[in-house]
Amino acid sequence: MNKAFGKKGLKLCTVLMAAVLVMQGCGGGNSASSGKAGLPSADDRYTVDAETPAWKLDKKEETTELTWYVNADWWNTDFGKDVVTKKIKEDLNINIKFITGDDTKLNTFFAGGDMPDLLTIFDSNSPVVQKAATWALPLNDLAEKYDPYFNKVAAADTLNWFQLADGKTYGYPNYSNTQADYDSGNIPAKTAFVIRKDVYEALGSPAAGTPEEFKNVMGQIKARFPELIPFGFNSIGEGTGSLGDVLQDFLGVPMETKEGGFYNRNLDKDYLAWLKTINAVYRDGAISDDSFADDGTAFEEKVKSGKYATMLLDGTPQQGGNLQIYMSANPGKEYIAIDGPQSTVGHAPTLNQSGITGWMISFITKKCKDPAKAMQIFTYLLSDEGQKLMNYGIEGETYQVNANGKVELLPAVKDLQLNNADKFKKDYRLGEFMFFGHDRDKALSEDAFPESIKQMQEWGKGKLKPHFILENINPDQGTPEARALSAINTKWNTTMVSMLRSKDDASFDSLLADYKTFLDNNNWDKIVEIRTEKMKKNKEKLGLK
Amino acid sequence: MPSPALQQMGKRPMGQRIKEWVTDFRRQWEIQSMVIPGIIFMIVFCYIPIYGLTIAFKNYTVIDTLSSAPWVGLDNFRIILSDKYFWDSVINTLGISFLKLAIGFVIPIILGIMIYELNRGRFKKIVQTISYLPHFLSWIVLGGMLITWFSTSGLFNQLLLELGLISKPSNILLDAGKYWWIATLSDIWKEAGWGTILYLAVMSKIDPTYYEAARIDGASRIRQIWNITLPNMKMIISLNLILTVSGLLGSNLDQTLVLMNSQNREKAEVINSYVYRMGMTQGDFSYATAVGLGVSIVSVILLVAANKITSKLNDNQSVL
Repeated sequence: MNKAFGKKGLKLCTVLMAAVLVMQGCGGGNSASSGKAGLPSADDRYTVDAETPAWKLDKKEETTELTWYVNADWWNTDFGKDVVTKKIKEDLNINIKFITGDDTKLNTFFAGGDMPDLLTIFDSNSPVVQKAATWALPLNDLAEKYDPYFNKVAAADTLNWFQLADGKTYGYPNYSNTQADYDSGNIPAKTAFVIRKDVYEALGSPAAGTPEEFKNVMGQIKARFPELIPFGFNSIGEGTGSLGDVLQDFLGVPMETKEGGFYNRNLDKDYLAWLKTINAVYRDGAISDDSFADDGTAFEEKVKSGKYATMLLDGTPQQGGNLQIYMSANPGKEYIAIDGPQSTVGHAPTLNQSGITGWMISFITKKCKDPAKAMQIFTYLLSDEGQKLMNYGIEGETYQVNANGKVELLPAVKDLQLNNADKFKKDYRLGEFMFFGHDRDKALSEDAFPESIKQMQEWGKGKLKPHFILENINPDQGTPEARALSAINTKWNTTMVSMLRSKDDASFDSLLADYKTFLDNNNWDKIVEIRTEKMKKNKEKLGLK
Repeated sequence: MPSPALQQMGKRPMGQRIKEWVTDFRRQWEIQSMVIPGIIFMIVFCYIPIYGLTIAFKNYTVIDTLSSAPWVGLDNFRIILSDKYFWDSVINTLGISFLKLAIGFVIPIILGIMIYELNRGRFKKIVQTISYLPHFLSWIVLGGMLITWFSTSGLFNQLLLELGLISKPSNILLDAGKYWWIATLSDIWKEAGWGTILYLAVMSKIDPTYYEAARIDGASRIRQIWNITLPNMKMIISLNLILTVSGLLGSNLDQTLVLMNSQNREKAEVINSYVYRMGMTQGDFSYATAVGLGVSIVSVILLVAANKITSKLNDNQSVL
């Protein structure tokens, strides 16, 4: 009967995984130690030249077949059929066979030892990345031997960031934003406090920066627009929605203690004062209970239909489509960003964006059949040429550069993008083959983001501040501290929501006290120590004081 | 006390016994060969993987092999014992499962008898179809429906508001105190109809002459159910009970994953969802395996206990 099914499913998973592991046990271990010395020579094909990318030099005639595992089921495995990958195929004379899967499949690869040539995963904090030296080839050595031009197109900060204990870097991420990227102003903000324009104007463009103003605005909305939910936020799920670190960034809560140690931003007075404010708003009936239970889809439905009068919105590009749908159907009522909650003690906002750790991270494995070719792919895709190709296609064929130096899609292509998304995806695949994509390439064109979020991005200018020192600072997986931290995160998730829904100040305070006790009982000191240590290392890597 | 034939068999020499076994096997080879694929399947997919349980005693990460991961002895189990969330999940699993057992086990029997007692005809068919229907929908679908019904603007709140039982709508799923009941009742709604099938099948096999004789003797309907229908179902009820009890600790995963949220977690998290969270989302395979192993051991104990109890009820006849 169905009751037993869940158990069976889990068991089956474990059993299958274990079966594979057992098979592997007999199959022999990893091919260890294949340093620079072990790399095959490419001298018969070309002589390396620091000034020219190797793919232009390589004379290998037969087409190189490579397998590339991407740890995401949704990845489009086509290769060579659309404009982007066809060009890559021609330029590099390669044929890539993509394999996709989830963590279980990834584990199978490692357990079975039958590794693909290239491998892309998403979690930079996972043991796979931490111990990359055991299964991947170092990019430094590959670049030196096959393609020194790589060092011209790769960001030195990013390479440093992913350096392992042996001083070498094994993987390269996409959307890794360095300090230079932040300074250039090319990175758009992705969070905003937004309000429906019609509501905002009807209320006479009120300020909502202080707790009093905020409460007042929400009260007014509730009275004058009873069909709307005055205040909304991203789906909470197992995290904090946009009411955790996102709100903290709005308030400019410090990222470290005065001594440079880890600072528990959740217990910051300024932040707690705002949680109390939101609790008061909830008690006034201006926050729907459903907001605490909605999943991502339910939240998006409400965004699409303009159900919320105001939102603390994280991930505006991800919501761009929903906001656009609402905007197109309701002209003059679109969401606009205004200065929302602000620090009560005068801190400036420190909004976050994708950091130096980036998103997907790609590796060349030790089992790679042609590491020289694999390295050429990295260099090619990272170069301006590759970046433009991935995002906008081929000049003259899919885009042109206008008088302002901005990239513009050709009308026919643009039309397809707007009106026949499926065909556009199949024929062009622009902005989708983003193994090494970066925000700076998005900044080249007006067409990179939907109309609905441009005002929000404009609002965020100058408010971004890198959070590099807080990246990858969690205790390593499998340690007691990591287990304690996951318990603490779960507790905070429950506590925060309970605080926001508490009936009076006394229960708000007692919940907070409870959380503090939980911290004390769950190794918090040790976690802070580890995080402080990792922050110190981060600073060393980035050359910060 | 074993029969004399069995006693005799035990005394025969080994060689003779093997010989007899081979002859028997040859004689029945068509039938035996049908069993062999099943046995091979069991060995490959059920027995060899038992070796994988060793990761419960190791600190295993993705890039280790089973043999290279370092041994940590009983560390994982020690951590489990002091883990508040684990114990929460144990209490919830037991709480929800026993509620489901206490209510959900009896209802299909009652419902089955009620359907059986209905006169043949369209109404019976309609009742059966309606009661089976929810079984065919997955928890993803049913959970989505429940989430909508329990929301502030959903069916239940509107109903309660109309009836004047509450003055302000609240999301019922956020109320941890009600979660066990939500889980139990929604599961019964989903499975009760389906659970009647087995009982209806057994009831259709009951000799109608029993009922005729009872009616001639002047027995009422209730008396007939009590003295004829129920005793005839004793065996199948016991079997069902054993199967249900052994699965007590392993149930509720799909339902929990759909209905759990930050506010009801304390009362909603069950062992399986906890294992899923630790293993799949946190990547702590050793810990998750250790929990799974512990649960399996307790499940076996429950199974044996249930078998013992039911065999006592069935005049020492064991179903298994």
